[in-house]
Amino acid sequence: MIIPLLKVTNLSKSYDNIVGCKNISMSLYPGEVLGIVGESGSGKTTLINCLSGNLEPDRGKIIFNINNKETDFLNISESEKRKFIRTDLAFVHQNPRDGLRLNVSAGGNIGEKLMSVGYRHYGNIRSLATKWINKVEIDKSRIDDLPITFSGGMLQRLQIAKNLITSPNVIFMDEPTGGLDVSVQARVLDLIRSLVNELNLTVIIVSHDLAVIRLLADKMIVMKNGTVIESGLSDQVLEDPQQEYTQLLVSSVLHV
Amino acid sequence: MRKTNNVIKIKDFKVDKGLPFDQEYNFAYLDENTKKMIRRAIIKALCIPGYQVPFASREMPMPYGWGTGGVQVTASCLTKRDTLKIIDQGADDTTNAVSIRNFFKKTSNIKTTEITEKATLIQTRHRIPETPLKKKQIFVYQVPIPEPLAFLEPKVSETIKMHSLSEYGAMHVKLYEDISKNGHIETAYAYPVKTNDRYIMDPSPIPKFDNPKMNNSPAIQLFGAGREQRIYAIPPYTKVKSLDFEDYPFDPFKAEHACDICGSKNTYLDEIIVDDAGNKSFICSDTDFCNKRKNK
Repeated sequence: MIIPLLKVTNLSKSYDNIVGCKNISMSLYPGEVLGIVGESGSGKTTLINCLSGNLEPDRGKIIFNINNKETDFLNISESEKRKFIRTDLAFVHQNPRDGLRLNVSAGGNIGEKLMSVGYRHYGNIRSLATKWINKVEIDKSRIDDLPITFSGGMLQRLQIAKNLITSPNVIFMDEPTGGLDVSVQARVLDLIRSLVNELNLTVIIVSHDLAVIRLLADKMIVMKNGTVIESGLSDQVLEDPQQEYTQLLVSSVLHV
Repeated sequence: MRKTNNVIKIKDFKVDKGLPFDQEYNFAYLDENTKKMIRRAIIKALCIPGYQVPFASREMPMPYGWGTGGVQVTASCLTKRDTLKIIDQGADDTTNAVSIRNFFKKTSNIKTTEITEKATLIQTRHRIPETPLKKKQIFVYQVPIPEPLAFLEPKVSETIKMHSLSEYGAMHVKLYEDISKNGHIETAYAYPVKTNDRYIMDPSPIPKFDNPKMNNSPAIQLFGAGREQRIYAIPPYTKVKSLDFEDYPFDPFKAEHACDICGSKNTYLDEIIVDDAGNKSFICSDTDFCNKRKNK
Protein backbone atom coordinates (compact mmCIF):
# COMPACT_ATOMS: atom_id res chain seq x y z
CA MET A 1 0.00 0.00 0.00
CA ILE A 2 1.29 3.44 -0.88
CA ILE A 3 1.19 5.92 1.96
CA PRO A 4 0.07 9.42 0.98
CA LEU A 5 2.78 12.08 1.09
CA LEU A 6 0.27 14.59 2.35
CA LYS A 7 -2.98 13.87 4.12
CA VAL A 8 -5.38 16.68 4.93
CA THR A 9 -8.39 16.12 7.20
CA ASN A 10 -11.24 18.56 7.80
CA LEU A 11 -9.19 21.68 7.22
CA SER A 12 -11.03 24.95 7.86
CA LYS A 13 -9.97 28.54 7.80
CA SER A 14 -12.15 31.62 8.05
CA TYR A 15 -11.41 35.31 8.17
CA ASP A 16 -13.70 36.62 10.90
CA ASN A 17 -17.11 35.65 9.49
CA ILE A 18 -15.96 35.10 5.95
CA VAL A 19 -15.26 31.48 5.04
CA GLY A 20 -11.85 30.90 3.43
CA CYS A 21 -12.11 27.15 3.13
CA LYS A 22 -14.29 24.67 4.97
CA ASN A 23 -13.85 20.99 5.90
CA ILE A 24 -11.33 20.15 3.21
CA SER A 25 -10.05 16.57 3.17
CA MET A 26 -7.67 15.26 0.57
CA SER A 27 -4.61 13.10 -0.03
CA LEU A 28 -1.59 13.56 -2.23
CA TYR A 29 0.63 10.65 -3.29
CA PRO A 30 4.32 10.78 -4.24
CA GLY A 31 4.90 11.82 -7.84
CA GLU A 32 1.38 13.11 -8.23
CA VAL A 33 0.35 16.48 -9.64
CA LEU A 34 -2.83 17.78 -8.07
CA GLY A 35 -4.71 20.67 -9.63
CA ILE A 36 -7.01 22.92 -7.63
CA VAL A 37 -9.51 24.90 -9.69
CA GLY A 38 -12.33 27.26 -8.90
CA GLU A 39 -13.38 30.83 -9.50
CA SER A 40 -11.67 33.66 -7.65
CA GLY A 41 -12.79 33.79 -4.03
CA SER A 42 -13.45 30.05 -3.94
CA GLY A 43 -10.69 29.42 -1.37
CA LYS A 44 -7.95 27.99 -3.58
CA THR A 45 -5.29 30.34 -2.35
CA THR A 46 -6.39 30.05 1.28
CA LEU A 47 -6.06 26.28 1.01
CA ILE A 48 -2.61 26.31 -0.59
CA ASN A 49 -1.40 28.92 1.91
CA CYS A 50 -2.56 26.73 4.81
CA LEU A 51 -0.85 23.67 3.35
CA SER A 52 2.42 25.48 2.70
CA GLY A 53 2.61 27.07 6.16
CA ASN A 54 1.91 30.66 5.11
CA LEU A 55 -1.39 30.67 6.99
CA GLU A 56 -2.49 29.07 10.25
CA PRO A 57 -5.77 27.16 9.72
CA ASP A 58 -8.50 27.28 12.40
CA ARG A 59 -9.19 23.54 12.50
CA GLY A 60 -8.11 20.31 10.89
CA LYS A 61 -5.06 18.19 10.38
CA ILE A 62 -2.18 18.31 7.93
CA ILE A 63 0.11 15.27 7.99
CA PHE A 64 3.17 15.02 5.76
CA ASN A 65 4.79 11.61 5.38
CA ILE A 66 8.24 12.06 3.89
CA ASN A 67 10.70 9.15 3.75
CA ASN A 68 8.53 7.24 6.24
CA LYS A 69 8.75 10.10 8.70
CA GLU A 70 5.42 11.53 9.76
CA THR A 71 5.21 15.27 10.40
CA ASP A 72 2.12 16.68 12.07
CA PHE A 73 2.47 20.04 10.36
CA LEU A 74 0.18 21.99 12.69
CA ASN A 75 1.60 20.58 15.93
CA ILE A 76 5.34 21.08 15.59
CA SER A 77 7.39 23.89 17.08
CA GLU A 78 7.95 26.97 15.00
CA SER A 79 11.65 26.25 14.46
CA GLU A 80 10.87 22.69 13.26
CA LYS A 81 8.12 24.07 11.04
CA ARG A 82 10.36 26.67 9.43
CA LYS A 83 13.08 24.10 8.91
CA PHE A 84 10.55 21.74 7.32
CA ILE A 85 9.30 24.49 5.02
CA ARG A 86 12.89 25.38 4.10
CA THR A 87 14.04 21.86 3.27
CA ASP A 88 10.94 19.89 2.22
CA LEU A 89 8.55 22.40 0.68
CA ALA A 90 8.76 24.99 -2.08
CA PHE A 91 6.37 27.72 -3.14
CA VAL A 92 6.18 29.24 -6.60
CA HIS A 93 4.29 32.53 -6.43
CA GLN A 94 2.05 33.87 -9.15
CA ASN A 95 4.10 37.06 -9.23
CA PRO A 96 7.78 36.06 -9.42
CA ARG A 97 8.66 39.37 -7.75
CA ASP A 98 7.16 37.95 -4.52
CA GLY A 99 9.46 34.96 -4.59
CA LEU A 100 12.71 36.62 -5.66
CA ARG A 101 15.02 39.30 -4.31
CA LEU A 102 15.11 41.86 -7.08
CA ASN A 103 18.27 43.58 -5.81
CA VAL A 104 20.23 40.31 -5.78
CA SER A 105 21.64 38.71 -8.96
CA ALA A 106 19.99 35.66 -10.58
CA GLY A 107 22.76 33.39 -9.28
CA GLY A 108 22.43 34.86 -5.78
CA ASN A 109 18.70 34.22 -5.82
CA ILE A 110 19.14 30.58 -6.78
CA GLY A 111 22.08 30.18 -4.39
CA GLU A 112 20.21 31.60 -1.41
CA LYS A 113 18.13 28.46 -1.12
CA LEU A 114 21.33 26.37 -1.02
CA MET A 115 23.00 28.65 1.52
CA SER A 116 19.90 28.50 3.72
CA VAL A 117 20.24 24.71 3.94
CA GLY A 118 23.93 24.92 4.82
CA TYR A 119 26.03 25.18 1.64
CA ARG A 120 29.22 27.14 2.40
CA HIS A 121 31.39 26.48 -0.65
CA TYR A 122 31.19 29.26 -3.26
CA GLY A 123 32.41 27.07 -6.13
CA ASN A 124 29.78 24.39 -5.50
CA ILE A 125 26.97 26.92 -5.11
CA ARG A 126 28.04 28.62 -8.31
CA SER A 127 28.18 25.45 -10.38
CA LEU A 128 24.81 24.20 -9.11
CA ALA A 129 23.26 27.61 -9.81
CA THR A 130 24.70 27.55 -13.35
CA LYS A 131 23.34 24.05 -13.91
CA TRP A 132 19.87 25.11 -12.85
CA ILE A 133 19.85 28.34 -14.78
CA ASN A 134 20.58 26.24 -17.88
CA LYS A 135 17.88 23.78 -16.94
CA VAL A 136 15.21 26.49 -16.93
CA GLU A 137 16.45 27.69 -20.33
CA ILE A 138 18.02 30.95 -19.24
CA ASP A 139 21.35 31.75 -20.89
CA LYS A 140 24.09 31.16 -18.34
CA SER A 141 25.72 34.49 -19.25
CA ARG A 142 22.80 36.12 -17.42
CA ILE A 143 23.71 34.53 -14.08
CA ASP A 144 25.14 37.75 -12.62
CA ASP A 145 22.38 40.01 -13.93
CA LEU A 146 19.74 41.46 -11.67
CA PRO A 147 16.22 40.01 -12.01
CA ILE A 148 14.85 43.48 -12.83
CA THR A 149 16.54 43.15 -16.23
CA PHE A 150 14.63 39.90 -16.93
CA SER A 151 11.36 39.53 -18.82
CA GLY A 152 8.25 38.19 -17.07
CA GLY A 153 8.70 34.67 -18.43
CA MET A 154 12.38 34.57 -17.48
CA LEU A 155 11.54 35.78 -13.97
CA GLN A 156 9.03 32.97 -13.58
CA ARG A 157 11.56 30.40 -14.82
CA LEU A 158 14.16 31.84 -12.44
CA GLN A 159 11.72 31.48 -9.57
CA ILE A 160 11.10 27.87 -10.53
CA ALA A 161 14.86 27.17 -10.58
CA LYS A 162 15.24 28.79 -7.17
CA ASN A 163 12.53 26.55 -5.75
CA LEU A 164 13.62 23.27 -7.29
CA ILE A 165 17.36 23.46 -6.62
CA THR A 166 17.15 21.85 -3.19
CA SER A 167 14.91 19.00 -4.45
CA PRO A 168 11.90 19.75 -2.22
CA ASN A 169 9.39 16.98 -1.63
CA VAL A 170 6.23 18.98 -2.28
CA ILE A 171 6.03 22.01 -4.57
CA PHE A 172 3.16 24.47 -4.35
CA MET A 173 2.39 26.62 -7.35
CA ASP A 174 -0.10 29.45 -7.16
CA GLU A 175 -1.17 30.39 -10.70
CA PRO A 176 2.40 30.03 -11.99
CA THR A 177 1.45 31.27 -15.45
CA GLY A 178 -1.04 33.89 -14.27
CA GLY A 179 0.51 37.12 -15.45
CA LEU A 180 2.17 35.85 -18.62
CA ASP A 181 1.09 36.20 -22.24
CA VAL A 182 0.01 33.08 -24.10
CA SER A 183 3.21 32.11 -25.90
CA VAL A 184 5.33 32.67 -22.79
CA GLN A 185 2.72 30.75 -20.78
CA ALA A 186 3.11 27.80 -23.15
CA ARG A 187 6.88 27.82 -22.71
CA VAL A 188 6.71 27.94 -18.90
CA LEU A 189 4.08 25.19 -18.87
CA ASP A 190 6.22 23.09 -21.15
CA LEU A 191 9.16 23.58 -18.81
CA ILE A 192 7.14 22.67 -15.72
CA ARG A 193 5.80 19.57 -17.47
CA SER A 194 9.23 18.35 -18.51
CA LEU A 195 10.67 18.99 -15.03
CA VAL A 196 7.75 17.15 -13.42
CA ASN A 197 8.39 14.14 -15.66
CA GLU A 198 12.17 14.24 -15.38
CA LEU A 199 12.40 14.69 -11.62
CA ASN A 200 9.19 12.90 -10.62
CA LEU A 201 8.01 15.95 -8.66
CA THR A 202 5.01 16.07 -6.38
CA VAL A 203 3.12 19.26 -7.11
CA ILE A 204 -0.02 21.05 -5.96
CA ILE A 205 -0.96 23.60 -8.56
CA VAL A 206 -3.65 26.23 -8.20
CA SER A 207 -5.15 27.70 -11.31
CA HIS A 208 -8.37 29.08 -12.69
CA ASP A 209 -7.19 28.03 -16.15
CA LEU A 210 -8.54 24.57 -16.97
CA ALA A 211 -6.08 24.18 -19.85
CA VAL A 212 -3.18 24.42 -17.40
CA ILE A 213 -4.76 21.78 -15.20
CA ARG A 214 -5.50 19.47 -18.11
CA LEU A 215 -1.91 19.75 -19.29
CA LEU A 216 -0.20 19.21 -15.93
CA ALA A 217 -2.44 17.63 -13.36
CA ASP A 218 -3.12 13.92 -12.83
CA LYS A 219 -5.87 14.60 -10.35
CA MET A 220 -7.90 17.66 -9.63
CA ILE A 221 -10.33 19.12 -7.16
CA VAL A 222 -12.95 21.75 -7.89
CA MET A 223 -13.66 24.33 -5.21
CA LYS A 224 -16.61 26.62 -4.72
CA ASN A 225 -17.41 28.86 -1.74
CA GLY A 226 -14.59 27.33 0.27
CA THR A 227 -15.58 23.68 -0.13
CA VAL A 228 -14.57 20.89 -2.48
CA ILE A 229 -17.51 20.10 -4.73
CA GLU A 230 -15.90 17.59 -7.05
CA SER A 231 -12.67 15.66 -7.26
CA GLY A 232 -11.10 12.88 -9.28
CA LEU A 233 -8.77 12.19 -12.19
CA SER A 234 -8.38 15.34 -14.29
CA ASP A 235 -9.49 13.74 -17.53
CA GLN A 236 -12.50 12.22 -15.84
CA VAL A 237 -13.61 15.47 -14.21
CA LEU A 238 -13.01 17.56 -17.31
CA GLU A 239 -14.66 15.11 -19.75
CA ASP A 240 -17.57 14.14 -17.57
CA PRO A 241 -18.23 16.80 -14.93
CA GLN A 242 -20.91 15.71 -12.46
CA GLN A 243 -21.63 18.94 -10.62
CA GLU A 244 -23.57 21.76 -12.17
CA TYR A 245 -20.85 24.28 -11.30
CA THR A 246 -18.11 22.13 -12.83
CA GLN A 247 -20.17 21.74 -15.97
CA LEU A 248 -20.50 25.50 -16.14
CA LEU A 249 -16.78 25.92 -15.58
CA VAL A 250 -15.86 23.44 -18.31
CA SER A 251 -18.31 24.92 -20.77
CA SER A 252 -17.10 28.47 -20.14
CA VAL A 253 -13.67 27.74 -21.61
CA LEU A 254 -13.26 29.62 -24.86
CA HIS A 255 -12.12 27.70 -27.91
CA VAL A 256 -10.30 29.46 -30.67
CA MET B 1 10.43 74.50 42.26
CA ARG B 2 11.92 71.42 43.82
CA LYS B 3 15.52 70.97 42.99
CA THR B 4 16.91 67.50 42.37
CA ASN B 5 20.33 66.47 41.24
CA ASN B 6 18.88 65.58 37.84
CA VAL B 7 17.99 69.13 36.88
CA ILE B 8 20.17 70.48 34.11
CA LYS B 9 20.87 74.17 34.13
CA ILE B 10 21.32 75.51 30.65
CA LYS B 11 24.27 77.83 30.42
CA ASP B 12 26.16 79.51 27.64
CA PHE B 13 27.83 76.53 26.01
CA LYS B 14 31.32 77.29 24.84
CA VAL B 15 33.24 74.56 23.06
CA ASP B 16 36.65 74.97 24.50
CA LYS B 17 39.35 72.51 25.41
CA GLY B 18 39.46 73.66 29.00
CA LEU B 19 35.79 73.18 29.77
CA PRO B 20 35.41 73.33 33.53
CA PHE B 21 33.67 70.62 35.52
CA ASP B 22 30.06 71.61 35.93
CA GLN B 23 28.71 70.42 39.27
CA GLU B 24 25.12 71.11 38.28
CA TYR B 25 25.11 67.88 36.26
CA ASN B 26 24.64 64.49 37.76
CA PHE B 27 27.89 62.50 37.45
CA ALA B 28 28.37 61.62 33.74
CA TYR B 29 25.25 63.50 32.68
CA LEU B 30 22.64 60.71 32.88
CA ASP B 31 20.43 60.40 35.96
CA GLU B 32 21.00 57.35 38.16
CA ASN B 33 17.76 55.59 37.19
CA THR B 34 18.66 55.73 33.53
CA LYS B 35 22.13 54.39 34.25
CA LYS B 36 20.61 51.54 36.22
CA MET B 37 18.34 50.68 33.30
CA ILE B 38 21.25 50.77 30.86
CA ARG B 39 23.48 48.68 33.14
CA ARG B 40 20.77 46.03 33.29
CA ALA B 41 20.67 45.96 29.49
CA ILE B 42 24.48 45.68 29.43
CA ILE B 43 24.48 42.76 31.88
CA LYS B 44 21.85 40.97 29.82
CA ALA B 45 23.86 41.65 26.66
CA LEU B 46 26.99 40.21 28.26
CA CYS B 47 25.11 37.07 29.25
CA ILE B 48 23.96 36.47 25.65
CA PRO B 49 26.94 37.43 23.46
CA GLY B 50 25.88 39.14 20.25
CA TYR B 51 22.18 39.35 21.16
CA GLN B 52 20.65 42.79 20.70
CA VAL B 53 19.01 43.95 23.92
CA PRO B 54 16.43 46.74 23.55
CA PHE B 55 16.79 49.67 25.93
CA ALA B 56 14.99 52.98 26.46
CA SER B 57 17.52 55.22 24.74
CA ARG B 58 17.47 58.81 26.05
CA GLU B 59 17.68 62.07 24.21
CA MET B 60 21.29 63.18 24.42
CA PRO B 61 22.63 66.70 23.88
CA MET B 62 24.00 65.69 20.48
CA PRO B 63 22.42 64.55 17.22
CA TYR B 64 21.72 60.91 16.36
CA GLY B 65 24.63 59.53 14.40
CA TRP B 66 27.17 61.27 16.59
CA GLY B 67 27.41 58.44 19.05
CA THR B 68 24.38 58.82 21.31
CA GLY B 69 24.33 55.07 21.95
CA GLY B 70 28.03 54.85 22.76
CA VAL B 71 27.83 57.91 25.02
CA GLN B 72 24.98 56.42 27.03
CA VAL B 73 26.85 53.13 27.49
CA THR B 74 30.01 55.01 28.49
CA ALA B 75 28.09 57.24 30.91
CA SER B 76 26.55 54.19 32.58
CA CYS B 77 29.88 52.39 32.97
CA LEU B 78 31.94 55.38 34.08
CA THR B 79 33.18 55.59 37.68
CA LYS B 80 35.20 58.37 39.32
CA ARG B 81 38.35 56.22 39.16
CA ASP B 82 38.14 55.70 35.38
CA THR B 83 40.52 57.09 32.79
CA LEU B 84 38.70 57.76 29.56
CA LYS B 85 39.95 57.68 25.98
CA ILE B 86 37.75 58.64 23.04
CA ILE B 87 38.67 57.90 19.43
CA ASP B 88 37.01 58.63 16.13
CA GLN B 89 38.39 56.81 13.05
CA GLY B 90 41.37 55.88 15.22
CA ALA B 91 42.25 59.48 16.04
CA ASP B 92 42.00 61.29 19.37
CA ASP B 93 41.89 64.76 17.82
CA THR B 94 38.93 64.60 15.43
CA THR B 95 35.69 66.54 16.01
CA ASN B 96 33.61 63.68 17.33
CA ALA B 97 36.33 62.49 19.70
CA VAL B 98 37.12 65.98 21.01
CA SER B 99 33.52 66.93 21.64
CA ILE B 100 32.63 63.67 23.41
CA ARG B 101 35.79 63.90 25.55
CA ASN B 102 34.87 67.48 26.50
CA PHE B 103 31.35 66.37 27.28
CA PHE B 104 32.57 63.84 29.84
CA LYS B 105 35.19 66.22 31.25
CA LYS B 106 32.48 68.76 31.86
CA THR B 107 29.91 66.39 33.30
CA SER B 108 32.06 63.98 35.30
CA ASN B 109 35.48 65.53 35.92
CA ILE B 110 37.30 62.26 35.25
CA LYS B 111 40.82 61.81 33.91
CA THR B 112 41.19 61.49 30.16
CA THR B 113 44.06 60.12 28.14
CA GLU B 114 45.13 59.52 24.57
CA ILE B 115 47.27 56.52 25.50
CA THR B 116 45.49 53.23 24.91
CA GLU B 117 47.27 51.29 27.70
CA LYS B 118 46.42 53.90 30.32
CA ALA B 119 42.71 54.03 29.58
CA THR B 120 40.26 51.94 31.58
CA LEU B 121 37.35 52.86 29.34
CA ILE B 122 37.64 53.56 25.61
CA GLN B 123 34.83 54.77 23.41
CA THR B 124 35.35 54.38 19.69
CA ARG B 125 33.88 55.15 16.34
CA HIS B 126 35.05 53.01 13.37
CA ARG B 127 38.32 51.54 14.78
CA ILE B 128 39.86 49.20 17.33
CA PRO B 129 43.27 50.51 18.52
CA GLU B 130 46.43 48.84 17.21
CA THR B 131 47.70 48.41 20.78
CA PRO B 132 46.06 45.18 22.01
CA LEU B 133 43.26 45.69 24.52
CA LYS B 134 43.84 44.15 27.91
CA LYS B 135 42.08 42.81 30.97
CA LYS B 136 39.84 45.22 32.91
CA GLN B 137 39.45 47.57 29.98
CA ILE B 138 35.95 48.38 28.73
CA PHE B 139 35.69 49.08 25.03
CA VAL B 140 32.56 50.88 23.79
CA TYR B 141 31.54 50.99 20.13
CA GLN B 142 29.21 53.56 18.58
CA VAL B 143 26.76 51.71 16.34
CA PRO B 144 24.60 53.28 13.61
CA ILE B 145 22.67 50.15 12.46
CA PRO B 146 22.84 47.22 14.90
CA GLU B 147 20.86 44.77 12.75
CA PRO B 148 23.12 42.79 10.37
CA LEU B 149 20.06 41.30 8.65
CA ALA B 150 18.46 44.70 7.94
CA PHE B 151 19.62 44.82 4.32
CA LEU B 152 18.04 41.40 3.67
CA GLU B 153 14.88 41.71 5.69
CA PRO B 154 13.38 45.11 6.45
CA LYS B 155 10.81 43.75 8.94
CA VAL B 156 12.15 43.84 12.52
CA SER B 157 9.61 41.22 13.65
CA GLU B 158 11.05 38.89 11.02
CA THR B 159 14.74 39.56 11.82
CA ILE B 160 14.05 38.85 15.50
CA LYS B 161 12.58 35.51 14.42
CA MET B 162 15.55 34.80 12.15
CA HIS B 163 17.93 35.45 15.05
CA SER B 164 15.98 33.34 17.51
CA LEU B 165 15.85 30.39 15.10
CA SER B 166 19.43 30.88 13.81
CA GLU B 167 18.17 31.25 10.25
CA TYR B 168 21.31 32.79 8.89
CA GLY B 169 21.68 31.15 5.47
CA ALA B 170 20.69 34.29 3.64
CA MET B 171 23.56 36.22 5.29
CA HIS B 172 25.94 34.59 2.82
CA VAL B 173 23.99 36.01 -0.13
CA LYS B 174 25.74 39.35 0.31
CA LEU B 175 29.14 37.67 0.28
CA TYR B 176 28.12 35.57 -2.74
CA GLU B 177 27.16 38.73 -4.60
CA ASP B 178 30.53 40.30 -3.76
CA ILE B 179 32.48 37.36 -5.15
CA SER B 180 30.37 37.03 -8.30
CA LYS B 181 30.76 40.75 -9.02
CA ASN B 182 34.36 41.36 -7.97
CA GLY B 183 36.03 38.00 -7.65
CA HIS B 184 36.57 38.52 -3.92
CA ILE B 185 34.60 39.59 -0.86
CA GLU B 186 34.33 43.34 -1.31
CA THR B 187 32.67 44.18 2.02
CA ALA B 188 35.34 46.22 3.75
CA TYR B 189 33.65 47.52 6.89
CA ALA B 190 30.78 46.42 9.14
CA TYR B 191 31.79 42.90 8.11
CA PRO B 192 29.34 40.48 9.80
CA VAL B 193 30.61 38.11 12.49
CA LYS B 194 29.23 35.14 14.39
CA THR B 195 29.61 35.55 18.14
CA ASN B 196 30.09 32.56 20.41
CA ASP B 197 28.91 30.24 17.59
CA ARG B 198 25.40 31.61 17.95
CA TYR B 199 24.37 35.15 17.05
CA ILE B 200 25.30 36.95 13.85
CA MET B 201 26.38 40.44 14.83
CA ASP B 202 27.23 43.69 13.11
CA PRO B 203 30.59 44.81 14.54
CA SER B 204 29.71 48.48 13.74
CA PRO B 205 31.50 50.17 10.83
CA ILE B 206 35.02 49.13 11.83
CA PRO B 207 37.24 48.05 8.91
CA LYS B 208 37.34 44.26 8.46
CA PHE B 209 41.05 44.59 9.25
CA ASP B 210 39.97 45.00 12.89
CA ASN B 211 37.62 42.00 12.98
CA PRO B 212 40.24 39.49 14.23
CA LYS B 213 40.97 41.79 17.22
CA MET B 214 37.48 41.12 18.58
CA ASN B 215 38.13 37.39 18.81
CA ASN B 216 39.12 36.15 22.25
CA SER B 217 39.82 39.69 23.46
CA PRO B 218 40.54 40.05 27.20
CA ALA B 219 38.59 43.35 27.29
CA ILE B 220 34.83 43.77 27.66
CA GLN B 221 33.35 44.97 24.37
CA LEU B 222 30.05 46.87 24.47
CA PHE B 223 28.03 48.17 21.53
CA GLY B 224 25.50 51.00 21.85
CA ALA B 225 23.03 52.07 19.15
CA GLY B 226 21.15 55.16 20.38
CA ARG B 227 18.72 55.79 17.55
CA GLU B 228 17.90 52.10 17.13
CA GLN B 229 17.73 51.61 20.92
CA ARG B 230 19.84 48.47 21.09
CA ILE B 231 22.78 47.36 23.22
CA TYR B 232 24.85 44.25 22.54
CA ALA B 233 28.13 42.93 23.88
CA ILE B 234 31.02 40.53 23.62
CA PRO B 235 32.24 39.31 27.01
CA PRO B 236 36.01 38.76 27.48
CA TYR B 237 37.58 35.70 25.82
CA THR B 238 34.67 35.03 23.47
CA LYS B 239 34.93 33.45 20.03
CA VAL B 240 34.15 35.94 17.28
CA LYS B 241 34.31 34.59 13.74
CA SER B 242 33.97 36.56 10.52
CA LEU B 243 31.63 34.98 7.97
CA ASP B 244 33.19 33.52 4.84
CA PHE B 245 33.06 30.68 2.30
CA GLU B 246 35.15 27.53 2.53
CA ASP B 247 36.87 28.39 -0.76
CA TYR B 248 36.98 32.16 -0.09
CA PRO B 249 38.28 32.49 3.47
CA PHE B 250 38.05 35.76 5.39
CA ASP B 251 40.82 38.21 4.46
CA PRO B 252 41.53 41.20 6.74
CA PHE B 253 42.51 43.59 4.00
CA LYS B 254 44.72 46.68 4.40
CA ALA B 255 46.45 49.04 1.96
CA GLU B 256 49.77 47.62 0.66
CA HIS B 257 51.91 50.40 2.09
CA ALA B 258 53.89 51.36 5.14
CA CYS B 259 52.90 54.39 7.22
CA ASP B 260 54.60 57.54 5.88
CA ILE B 261 55.01 58.91 9.40
CA CYS B 262 56.07 55.98 11.57
CA GLY B 263 56.92 53.34 8.95
CA SER B 264 54.63 50.67 10.40
CA LYS B 265 53.77 47.93 7.91
CA ASN B 266 51.07 46.06 9.79
CA THR B 267 48.68 48.78 10.88
CA TYR B 268 45.51 50.09 9.26
CA LEU B 269 46.26 53.12 7.07
CA ASP B 270 44.34 56.19 5.93
CA GLU B 271 44.87 57.24 2.34
CA ILE B 272 45.29 61.01 2.09
CA ILE B 273 45.43 63.09 -1.07
CA VAL B 274 48.19 65.66 -0.39
CA ASP B 275 48.14 67.99 -3.40
CA ASP B 276 46.19 68.96 -6.51
CA ALA B 277 48.24 66.54 -8.63
CA GLY B 278 46.62 63.63 -6.82
CA ASN B 279 49.69 62.50 -4.92
CA LYS B 280 48.85 60.29 -1.98
CA SER B 281 50.20 59.68 1.44
CA PHE B 282 49.39 56.70 3.67
CA ILE B 283 49.40 57.23 7.42
CA CYS B 284 48.28 55.21 10.43
CA SER B 285 44.67 55.89 11.37
CA ASP B 286 45.53 55.16 15.02
CA THR B 287 47.19 58.44 16.05
CA ASP B 288 48.25 57.25 19.51
CA PHE B 289 50.05 54.20 18.11
CA CYS B 290 51.70 56.24 15.34
CA ASN B 291 52.97 58.96 17.71
CA LYS B 292 54.43 56.42 20.10
CA ARG B 293 56.19 54.53 17.32
CA LYS B 294 57.54 57.72 15.78
CA ASN B 295 58.95 58.94 19.11
CA LYS B 296 60.66 55.63 19.94
